[in-house]
Amino acid sequence: MASYTKAAQQWATFARAWYLLDAKMQPPGKIAAATVIRLEGRHKPIYHALSDCGDHVVIINTRHIAFSGNKWEQKVYSSHTGYPGGFKQVTATQLHLKDPTAIVKLTIYRMLPKNLQRRTMMQRLHLFPEDVIPEDIEKNLLQEIPQPRAVPKRLDEYTPEEIAAFPKVWTPPKDFRRK
Amino acid sequence: MVLLSAPRCLRSRLTDRFWRVQEVLKYARHFRGRKNRCYKLAVRSVRRAFVKSTKARREKKRFLRALWITRIEAASLEHGLKYPAFITNLLKSQVELNRKMIADLAIYEPKTFKSLAALAQRRRQEGFLAALGDGKEPDGIFSRIVHHY
Repeated sequence: MASYTKAAQQWATFARAWYLLDAKMQPPGKIAAATVIRLEGRHKPIYHALSDCGDHVVIINTRHIAFSGNKWEQKVYSSHTGYPGGFKQVTATQLHLKDPTAIVKLTIYRMLPKNLQRRTMMQRLHLFPEDVIPEDIEKNLLQEIPQPRAVPKRLDEYTPEEIAAFPKVWTPPKDFRRK
Repeated sequence: MVLLSAPRCLRSRLTDRFWRVQEVLKYARHFRGRKNRCYKLAVRSVRRAFVKSTKARREKKRFLRALWITRIEAASLEHGLKYPAFITNLLKSQVELNRKMIADLAIYEPKTFKSLAALAQRRRQEGFLAALGDGKEPDGIFSRIVHHY
Protein backbone atom coordinates (compact mmCIF):
# COMPACT_ATOMS: atom_id res chain seq x y z
CA MET A 1 0.00 0.00 0.00
CA ALA A 2 2.88 2.39 0.62
CA SER A 3 4.22 2.03 -2.92
CA TYR A 4 1.00 2.79 -4.86
CA THR A 5 0.04 6.27 -6.00
CA LYS A 6 -3.04 7.77 -4.38
CA ALA A 7 -4.98 7.52 -7.65
CA ALA A 8 -4.14 3.85 -8.09
CA GLN A 9 -5.11 3.07 -4.50
CA GLN A 10 -8.45 4.87 -4.88
CA TRP A 11 -9.14 3.03 -8.15
CA ALA A 12 -8.46 -0.31 -6.48
CA THR A 13 -10.56 0.56 -3.41
CA PHE A 14 -13.65 1.57 -5.38
CA ALA A 15 -13.38 -1.05 -8.11
CA ARG A 16 -16.44 -3.19 -8.70
CA ALA A 17 -15.98 -6.91 -7.99
CA TRP A 18 -17.86 -9.92 -9.37
CA TYR A 19 -19.05 -12.59 -6.93
CA LEU A 20 -20.44 -16.06 -7.61
CA LEU A 21 -23.12 -17.78 -5.54
CA ASP A 22 -24.34 -21.35 -6.02
CA ALA A 23 -28.05 -21.57 -5.17
CA LYS A 24 -28.27 -25.37 -5.33
CA MET A 25 -30.42 -26.71 -2.44
CA GLN A 26 -30.46 -23.26 -0.80
CA PRO A 27 -33.50 -21.37 0.49
CA PRO A 28 -34.10 -18.33 -1.76
CA GLY A 29 -34.55 -15.99 1.22
CA LYS A 30 -31.06 -16.69 2.58
CA ILE A 31 -29.59 -16.44 -0.93
CA ALA A 32 -31.26 -13.05 -1.28
CA ALA A 33 -29.99 -11.87 2.12
CA ALA A 34 -26.41 -12.70 1.14
CA THR A 35 -26.63 -11.10 -2.30
CA VAL A 36 -28.41 -7.93 -1.16
CA ILE A 37 -25.50 -7.16 1.16
CA ARG A 38 -23.05 -7.45 -1.74
CA LEU A 39 -25.24 -5.53 -4.20
CA GLU A 40 -25.59 -2.59 -1.81
CA GLY A 41 -21.89 -2.60 -0.90
CA ARG A 42 -22.52 -3.11 2.81
CA HIS A 43 -19.72 -5.68 2.95
CA LYS A 44 -17.17 -2.89 2.46
CA PRO A 45 -15.90 -0.60 5.24
CA ILE A 46 -16.06 2.29 2.72
CA TYR A 47 -19.84 1.89 2.33
CA HIS A 48 -22.01 4.95 1.74
CA ALA A 49 -25.48 4.98 0.22
CA LEU A 50 -24.47 7.66 -2.29
CA SER A 51 -21.10 6.23 -3.31
CA ASP A 52 -22.46 3.54 -5.68
CA CYS A 53 -20.10 0.98 -4.18
CA GLY A 54 -22.15 -2.13 -4.95
CA ASP A 55 -20.70 -5.18 -6.64
CA HIS A 56 -21.94 -7.64 -9.26
CA VAL A 57 -23.38 -10.98 -8.09
CA VAL A 58 -23.83 -13.99 -10.38
CA ILE A 59 -26.22 -16.65 -9.04
CA ILE A 60 -26.18 -20.08 -10.70
CA ASN A 61 -28.46 -23.11 -10.30
CA THR A 62 -31.53 -21.01 -9.51
CA ARG A 63 -33.61 -23.87 -10.87
CA HIS A 64 -32.47 -26.00 -7.91
CA ILE A 65 -33.43 -23.73 -5.03
CA ALA A 66 -35.14 -25.39 -2.07
CA PHE A 67 -38.01 -23.84 -0.16
CA SER A 68 -38.53 -25.19 3.35
CA GLY A 69 -41.93 -26.39 4.55
CA ASN A 70 -44.84 -26.49 2.13
CA LYS A 71 -44.00 -23.22 0.46
CA TRP A 72 -43.84 -24.74 -3.02
CA GLU A 73 -47.61 -25.32 -2.78
CA GLN A 74 -48.61 -22.61 -0.33
CA LYS A 75 -46.56 -19.53 -1.30
CA VAL A 76 -48.51 -17.31 -3.68
CA TYR A 77 -47.06 -14.69 -6.01
CA SER A 78 -49.68 -12.09 -6.97
CA SER A 79 -49.69 -9.53 -9.74
CA HIS A 80 -52.21 -7.39 -11.63
CA THR A 81 -52.08 -6.70 -15.36
CA GLY A 82 -53.79 -3.31 -14.90
CA TYR A 83 -56.87 -4.38 -16.84
CA PRO A 84 -60.17 -5.19 -15.05
CA GLY A 85 -60.30 -8.78 -13.93
CA GLY A 86 -56.54 -9.03 -14.37
CA PHE A 87 -55.59 -10.11 -10.86
CA LYS A 88 -53.32 -13.13 -11.23
CA GLN A 89 -52.26 -15.41 -8.41
CA VAL A 90 -49.70 -18.10 -9.05
CA THR A 91 -48.20 -20.65 -6.68
CA ALA A 92 -44.43 -20.84 -6.30
CA THR A 93 -44.33 -24.14 -8.22
CA GLN A 94 -46.18 -22.71 -11.21
CA LEU A 95 -44.03 -19.59 -11.29
CA HIS A 96 -40.85 -21.65 -10.99
CA LEU A 97 -41.89 -23.88 -13.90
CA LYS A 98 -42.73 -20.85 -16.01
CA ASP A 99 -39.48 -19.00 -15.25
CA PRO A 100 -36.78 -20.68 -13.09
CA THR A 101 -35.08 -17.37 -12.18
CA ALA A 102 -38.24 -15.46 -11.24
CA ILE A 103 -38.46 -16.53 -7.59
CA VAL A 104 -34.89 -15.51 -6.76
CA LYS A 105 -35.25 -12.30 -8.77
CA LEU A 106 -38.46 -11.27 -6.98
CA THR A 107 -37.05 -12.16 -3.56
CA ILE A 108 -33.95 -10.02 -4.13
CA TYR A 109 -35.95 -7.15 -5.67
CA ARG A 110 -38.22 -7.03 -2.62
CA MET A 111 -35.29 -7.22 -0.16
CA LEU A 112 -33.36 -4.32 -1.69
CA PRO A 113 -33.97 -0.83 -0.23
CA LYS A 114 -36.92 0.81 -1.94
CA ASN A 115 -35.07 3.70 -3.54
CA LEU A 116 -34.00 4.79 -7.01
CA GLN A 117 -30.82 2.72 -6.79
CA ARG A 118 -32.77 -0.51 -6.61
CA ARG A 119 -33.04 -0.78 -10.40
CA THR A 120 -29.32 -0.15 -10.83
CA MET A 121 -28.55 -2.84 -8.31
CA MET A 122 -30.88 -5.27 -10.08
CA GLN A 123 -28.95 -4.61 -13.28
CA ARG A 124 -25.81 -5.75 -11.47
CA LEU A 125 -27.48 -9.04 -10.55
CA HIS A 126 -27.05 -11.94 -13.00
CA LEU A 127 -29.21 -15.05 -12.63
CA PHE A 128 -28.72 -18.35 -14.41
CA PRO A 129 -31.00 -21.38 -14.02
CA GLU A 130 -28.20 -23.95 -14.49
CA ASP A 131 -24.46 -23.66 -13.96
CA VAL A 132 -23.86 -22.63 -17.58
CA ILE A 133 -22.46 -19.09 -17.57
CA PRO A 134 -21.47 -16.98 -20.58
CA GLU A 135 -17.71 -16.77 -21.04
CA ASP A 136 -17.36 -13.04 -20.56
CA ILE A 137 -19.10 -13.20 -17.18
CA GLU A 138 -17.06 -16.23 -16.16
CA LYS A 139 -13.85 -14.33 -16.86
CA ASN A 140 -14.89 -11.52 -14.52
CA LEU A 141 -15.63 -13.66 -11.47
CA LEU A 142 -13.44 -12.94 -8.49
CA GLN A 143 -14.67 -14.88 -5.48
CA GLU A 144 -17.35 -17.32 -4.44
CA ILE A 145 -19.73 -16.37 -1.64
CA PRO A 146 -20.10 -19.30 0.83
CA GLN A 147 -23.48 -21.00 0.72
CA PRO A 148 -25.79 -19.86 3.53
CA ARG A 149 -27.22 -23.33 4.22
CA ALA A 150 -25.12 -26.46 4.81
CA VAL A 151 -26.55 -29.00 2.33
CA PRO A 152 -27.34 -32.28 4.15
CA LYS A 153 -26.32 -35.58 2.55
CA ARG A 154 -28.95 -38.13 1.63
CA LEU A 155 -28.66 -41.63 3.06
CA ASP A 156 -27.63 -43.10 -0.30
CA GLU A 157 -24.83 -40.51 -0.61
CA TYR A 158 -23.03 -41.92 2.44
CA THR A 159 -20.42 -44.61 1.75
CA PRO A 160 -20.96 -48.02 3.49
CA GLU A 161 -17.75 -47.44 5.52
CA GLU A 162 -19.19 -44.17 6.92
CA ILE A 163 -22.48 -45.89 7.76
CA ALA A 164 -20.63 -48.70 9.53
CA ALA A 165 -18.42 -46.24 11.43
CA PHE A 166 -21.42 -44.21 12.66
CA PRO A 167 -22.06 -44.88 16.38
CA LYS A 168 -25.17 -46.97 17.04
CA VAL A 169 -27.40 -46.74 20.11
CA TRP A 170 -28.25 -50.46 19.99
CA THR A 171 -27.87 -53.27 17.46
CA PRO A 172 -30.98 -55.39 16.90
CA PRO A 173 -30.56 -59.15 17.58
CA LYS A 174 -30.55 -61.47 14.57
CA ASP A 175 -34.13 -62.76 15.12
CA PHE A 176 -35.57 -59.23 15.53
CA ARG A 177 -38.80 -58.70 13.68
CA ARG A 178 -40.66 -55.37 13.46
CA LYS A 179 -44.40 -55.65 13.95
CA MET B 1 -41.19 82.60 10.90
CA VAL B 2 -43.83 80.98 8.66
CA LEU B 3 -42.70 79.04 5.63
CA LEU B 4 -44.79 80.33 2.66
CA SER B 5 -43.72 77.67 0.13
CA ALA B 6 -45.06 74.16 0.46
CA PRO B 7 -43.10 72.33 3.00
CA ARG B 8 -40.68 70.11 1.33
CA CYS B 9 -41.07 66.78 3.05
CA LEU B 10 -37.69 65.29 3.31
CA ARG B 11 -38.64 61.70 2.75
CA SER B 12 -35.99 59.20 3.56
CA ARG B 13 -35.87 56.64 0.80
CA LEU B 14 -34.43 53.17 0.96
CA THR B 15 -31.06 53.16 -0.78
CA ASP B 16 -29.70 49.70 0.02
CA ARG B 17 -32.66 47.61 -1.06
CA PHE B 18 -30.39 45.73 -3.52
CA TRP B 19 -28.11 44.49 -0.78
CA ARG B 20 -30.98 43.58 1.54
CA VAL B 21 -32.46 41.43 -1.23
CA GLN B 22 -29.10 39.91 -2.07
CA GLU B 23 -28.65 38.87 1.55
CA VAL B 24 -31.57 36.50 1.10
CA LEU B 25 -31.00 35.51 -2.52
CA LYS B 26 -27.40 34.45 -1.90
CA TYR B 27 -28.72 31.51 0.11
CA ALA B 28 -31.18 30.56 -2.64
CA ARG B 29 -28.87 30.50 -5.64
CA HIS B 30 -28.67 26.70 -5.82
CA PHE B 31 -32.44 26.17 -5.63
CA ARG B 32 -34.60 24.92 -8.47
CA GLY B 33 -37.09 27.10 -10.31
CA ARG B 34 -38.04 30.72 -9.83
CA LYS B 35 -37.30 30.61 -6.13
CA ASN B 36 -33.61 31.07 -6.94
CA ARG B 37 -34.32 34.46 -8.57
CA CYS B 38 -37.56 36.00 -7.30
CA TYR B 39 -37.35 37.54 -3.84
CA LYS B 40 -40.92 36.85 -2.74
CA LEU B 41 -40.59 33.14 -3.48
CA ALA B 42 -37.00 32.99 -2.27
CA VAL B 43 -37.78 34.42 1.16
CA ARG B 44 -40.17 31.59 1.89
CA SER B 45 -37.85 28.89 0.57
CA VAL B 46 -34.81 30.22 2.36
CA ARG B 47 -36.62 30.35 5.68
CA ARG B 48 -37.80 26.75 5.25
CA ALA B 49 -34.30 25.71 4.26
CA PHE B 50 -32.86 27.22 7.44
CA VAL B 51 -35.51 25.58 9.60
CA LYS B 52 -34.83 22.21 8.00
CA SER B 53 -31.11 22.66 8.43
CA THR B 54 -31.56 23.42 12.13
CA LYS B 55 -33.70 20.36 12.71
CA ALA B 56 -31.39 18.17 10.64
CA ARG B 57 -28.41 18.84 12.89
CA ARG B 58 -29.91 16.45 15.44
CA GLU B 59 -30.65 13.80 12.84
CA LYS B 60 -27.16 14.09 11.35
CA LYS B 61 -25.74 12.67 14.57
CA ARG B 62 -28.08 9.67 14.31
CA PHE B 63 -27.35 9.16 10.62
CA LEU B 64 -23.59 9.30 11.06
CA ARG B 65 -23.66 6.87 13.98
CA ALA B 66 -25.68 4.41 11.91
CA LEU B 67 -23.19 4.80 9.05
CA TRP B 68 -20.25 4.12 11.38
CA ILE B 69 -22.00 1.04 12.73
CA THR B 70 -22.62 -0.28 9.18
CA ARG B 71 -18.96 0.24 8.30
CA ILE B 72 -17.70 -1.41 11.49
CA GLU B 73 -20.04 -4.33 10.90
CA ALA B 74 -18.69 -4.79 7.36
CA ALA B 75 -15.09 -4.63 8.52
CA SER B 76 -15.58 -6.98 11.48
CA LEU B 77 -17.41 -9.52 9.30
CA GLU B 78 -14.34 -9.54 7.06
CA HIS B 79 -12.46 -10.76 10.12
CA GLY B 80 -15.11 -13.31 11.11
CA LEU B 81 -16.75 -11.42 13.98
CA LYS B 82 -20.24 -10.01 14.19
CA TYR B 83 -20.72 -6.38 15.23
CA PRO B 84 -22.34 -6.96 18.68
CA ALA B 85 -19.66 -9.47 19.66
CA PHE B 86 -16.91 -7.10 18.46
CA ILE B 87 -18.19 -4.04 20.33
CA THR B 88 -19.07 -5.77 23.59
CA ASN B 89 -15.76 -7.59 23.75
CA LEU B 90 -13.82 -4.41 23.00
CA LEU B 91 -15.65 -2.67 25.82
CA LYS B 92 -14.96 -5.56 28.16
CA SER B 93 -11.25 -5.27 27.27
CA GLN B 94 -11.42 -1.59 28.32
CA VAL B 95 -10.79 -0.31 24.78
CA GLU B 96 -12.99 2.78 24.89
CA LEU B 97 -12.81 3.82 21.26
CA ASN B 98 -15.97 5.37 19.91
CA ARG B 99 -17.60 4.18 16.71
CA LYS B 100 -16.28 7.09 14.68
CA MET B 101 -12.67 6.24 15.46
CA ILE B 102 -13.17 2.51 14.93
CA ALA B 103 -14.80 3.17 11.54
CA ASP B 104 -11.94 5.46 10.52
CA LEU B 105 -9.41 2.86 11.65
CA ALA B 106 -11.24 0.21 9.65
CA ILE B 107 -10.87 2.31 6.50
CA TYR B 108 -7.41 3.83 6.88
CA GLU B 109 -5.59 1.49 9.29
CA PRO B 110 -6.67 -2.06 8.35
CA LYS B 111 -3.89 -3.78 10.27
CA THR B 112 -4.82 -1.95 13.45
CA PHE B 113 -8.43 -2.97 12.93
CA LYS B 114 -7.36 -6.56 12.43
CA SER B 115 -5.54 -6.52 15.74
CA LEU B 116 -8.62 -5.01 17.44
CA ALA B 117 -10.74 -7.80 15.98
CA ALA B 118 -8.24 -10.39 17.23
CA LEU B 119 -8.34 -8.80 20.68
CA ALA B 120 -12.15 -8.93 20.73
CA GLN B 121 -12.10 -12.55 19.57
CA ARG B 122 -9.60 -13.53 22.27
CA ARG B 123 -11.63 -11.76 24.97
CA ARG B 124 -14.73 -13.55 23.68
CA GLN B 125 -13.06 -16.94 24.00
CA GLU B 126 -11.89 -16.04 27.51
CA GLY B 127 -15.46 -15.12 28.38
CA PHE B 128 -16.70 -18.50 27.17
CA LEU B 129 -13.95 -20.27 29.13
CA ALA B 130 -14.82 -18.33 32.27
CA ALA B 131 -18.47 -19.29 31.89
CA LEU B 132 -18.05 -22.92 30.85
CA GLY B 133 -14.49 -23.93 31.72
CA ASP B 134 -12.59 -24.94 34.85
CA GLY B 135 -11.99 -21.54 36.42
CA LYS B 136 -8.26 -21.62 35.61
CA GLU B 137 -6.83 -18.30 34.46
CA PRO B 138 -5.41 -18.59 30.90
CA ASP B 139 -1.87 -17.37 30.08
CA GLY B 140 -1.68 -13.83 28.73
CA ILE B 141 -5.12 -13.01 30.06
CA PHE B 142 -7.09 -10.12 28.55
CA SER B 143 -10.22 -10.23 30.68
CA ARG B 144 -8.67 -8.94 33.90
CA ILE B 145 -10.01 -5.44 34.57
CA VAL B 146 -7.24 -2.87 35.13
CA HIS B 147 -7.99 -0.03 37.53
CA HIS B 148 -6.11 3.20 36.90
CA TYR B 149 -6.79 4.85 40.23
